[in-house]
Amino acid sequence: MANMRVLQPRRKGHFWTTESKLAFLFLLPATIYLLAFMIYPILNVIIMSTYQTSKMAKMLKFTGFTNYWNLFQRKDFWQVMLRSIYWTGLAVAVKTVFGMVIALLLNVKYTGRKVARTLIIIPWASSIPISSLLWTWVYHPEFGLLNYTLKVTGIWKNPPVWLGAPASAFFSVIWVDIWIGIPFMTLVFLAGMQSISQDLYEAAEVDGANALKRFIYVTLPGLRDVLLIATLLSTLWTFNDFNTIYIITEGGPANSTHILITYIYENTFHFLKWNYGAVMAVITFIILSIIAWIYSRVYFRRET
Amino acid sequence: MRSKLFLAVLAVFLFVPLMVAAEGKAAKEEAKVTFFWALYDGLTEEFRAEIEDDFNATYDDMKVEIVPIAWNLMYDKITTAVAGGAPPELCVIGTRWILDFMESDAIEAVTKYVSEKTINNIAPGAMEAKIGGELMGLPVAAGARILAYNADISDKAPKTMEELRQLAIKVTNPPDTYGLIMPGKKFTELTDFAYYLYAAGGDFFEMEPDGSYGKSAFNGPEGVKALEFMVQLATKDKVVQEGYLSLDRMNSHPVFYTGKVAYCFIGAWVESAYNQAGATFDLKYGQIPPFRGDDGKTLIITDSIALFKDAKNKEAAGKFLDFFYQDKYKAKFDELIGFPPVTISAGKLPQFQTPLYKTLIDAALRAKGWPLMAGFDEITAIIWDANVEAFLGKKTPKKALDDAAAKIDAMRGM
Repeated sequence: MANMRVLQPRRKGHFWTTESKLAFLFLLPATIYLLAFMIYPILNVIIMSTYQTSKMAKMLKFTGFTNYWNLFQRKDFWQVMLRSIYWTGLAVAVKTVFGMVIALLLNVKYTGRKVARTLIIIPWASSIPISSLLWTWVYHPEFGLLNYTLKVTGIWKNPPVWLGAPASAFFSVIWVDIWIGIPFMTLVFLAGMQSISQDLYEAAEVDGANALKRFIYVTLPGLRDVLLIATLLSTLWTFNDFNTIYIITEGGPANSTHILITYIYENTFHFLKWNYGAVMAVITFIILSIIAWIYSRVYFRRET
Repeated sequence: MRSKLFLAVLAVFLFVPLMVAAEGKAAKEEAKVTFFWALYDGLTEEFRAEIEDDFNATYDDMKVEIVPIAWNLMYDKITTAVAGGAPPELCVIGTRWILDFMESDAIEAVTKYVSEKTINNIAPGAMEAKIGGELMGLPVAAGARILAYNADISDKAPKTMEELRQLAIKVTNPPDTYGLIMPGKKFTELTDFAYYLYAAGGDFFEMEPDGSYGKSAFNGPEGVKALEFMVQLATKDKVVQEGYLSLDRMNSHPVFYTGKVAYCFIGAWVESAYNQAGATFDLKYGQIPPFRGDDGKTLIITDSIALFKDAKNKEAAGKFLDFFYQDKYKAKFDELIGFPPVTISAGKLPQFQTPLYKTLIDAALRAKGWPLMAGFDEITAIIWDANVEAFLGKKTPKKALDDAAAKIDAMRGM
């Protein structure tokens, strides 16, 4: 590619040529869409975060960084922030490990592999709100499939009320997020594994490497970029996972399952504190922008 | 070729807005009324569609779109629509939300658009939304809360809360039978704490001499007694349905309809929900009892239909309300949701002369509503969290309520 660039004479660029005119025209709808539906709302939220707001989101008085300062004084904000980090870290780690193990299993040749590959996609292919509603009923203490199975099989005669206590509610909800997210990781890892040359495995085998060593020295290095991209994407989605938490627990019991994204929603649309909602949205935006920036660096490095 | 392509793209850009404008013009010819319709238990999709179709068939120049929305999501939905500058013409709201909307100048008096005939047919006692002499919401449902009980398990309506506890203990035999339904998961309404608080003679806020609300009062002796009693029932006597802390109103009441629970504090929709669930046990009604020696009250909840100031077709919205408040539709609506009618004419119909309605009318005589104040939704959430903390044993009922009261008073600048 680089050689070709050298061979081609450098064309003198003009901003407004017949060719570029058409290109700009084609770009116009996307640009208008981006400006109207992404850039404007983002700017508006940033501005709103520096204003005192009415209950119907009218910006009343410029207050500078007072909203930020007030929010940082709130203990509940820091608890939610810490939980968001914990939630994201734990969920992404488990999804990565499970995804990797399942991808390895699906990469082995056996009868029924195609069926297994199809089945694994189901949680990811289903709508997240529907999956969350389904799990709400699975966890139901009276009619739920989980407790019923535990009781009937004698595994646990008095199973806990999964969504009734802070710790069990947190782990129950995070499990749903993990359950939904595993197929994506599996598919990405599987695609990555299939792009690793079989010659490398054969060479390793000739050198006497066992399965674990082949995984460590061939598979993992081969998956390095894929692993990084998949975990970064998963981090973005997990940090932003509103549906699962809001549908299953609405942040309860006693606010023990709120993460930043659900807390923004509650402050903004329940309590009508648009300014605090905006401040938290700006903070979320900054965090996710950093992750997105790292992602793009990795992605484009891989492309070149 | 390139210029042809350029012209084609340009043509698309020109035609799309023209088509959109033409569509808009066509839409302008008939005034469209959007109505956010709360999905009360008992309401059916057929009934919603019937009103919509009948109105649209009756008026050529008007069209109604009735948008069904779950109660739990209604507050979020309407505040978002109003804040986004695109309110519907009409929306069913909890009457307690009206002050928030008034504060934001989002709603108008319904009397400006609804006919005098319709207004005069509303029972005066249902007009909780009359604020400063203006009716800011048309009453759509008003019902006191009552006690429903499964007479196959316990054939006695308790006279006091203490008796209720004894009866509940007597019949509880998990996992086959439970004494009482108690939702412990945060819901859009704080009904359960309110039942016990009002039964103990308590209130949410002190009343100032000028009629305004003062400091928090729900952490007073009555409130503490109420929450201690709830905690006792749930965590020590263990007479409430399994997993109460993970169940809100919407998914704990179905446990009652399975026939496994003796008592349930509930609203007027109980009978229609019981029928829809296909329950067969002997369902009876009584009053939510007071605590022994207390001047206990029950809770009455009113919902209203608000008309939004920035909506486009307010005249048509008024016409729709006149249409909907005819007995043919409104009485059927009341019958489906099980609430006593708010219209005088429907109140005289034979279908509303049953034991359930008699119980509801008796309950209304000793009932009181929510505090009508702005920001009550956040206050509700704070008290809910205090309840849950007490259930979880994180705090004593007194400490939990005191902390909640301090937070609410600080928030209200008191």
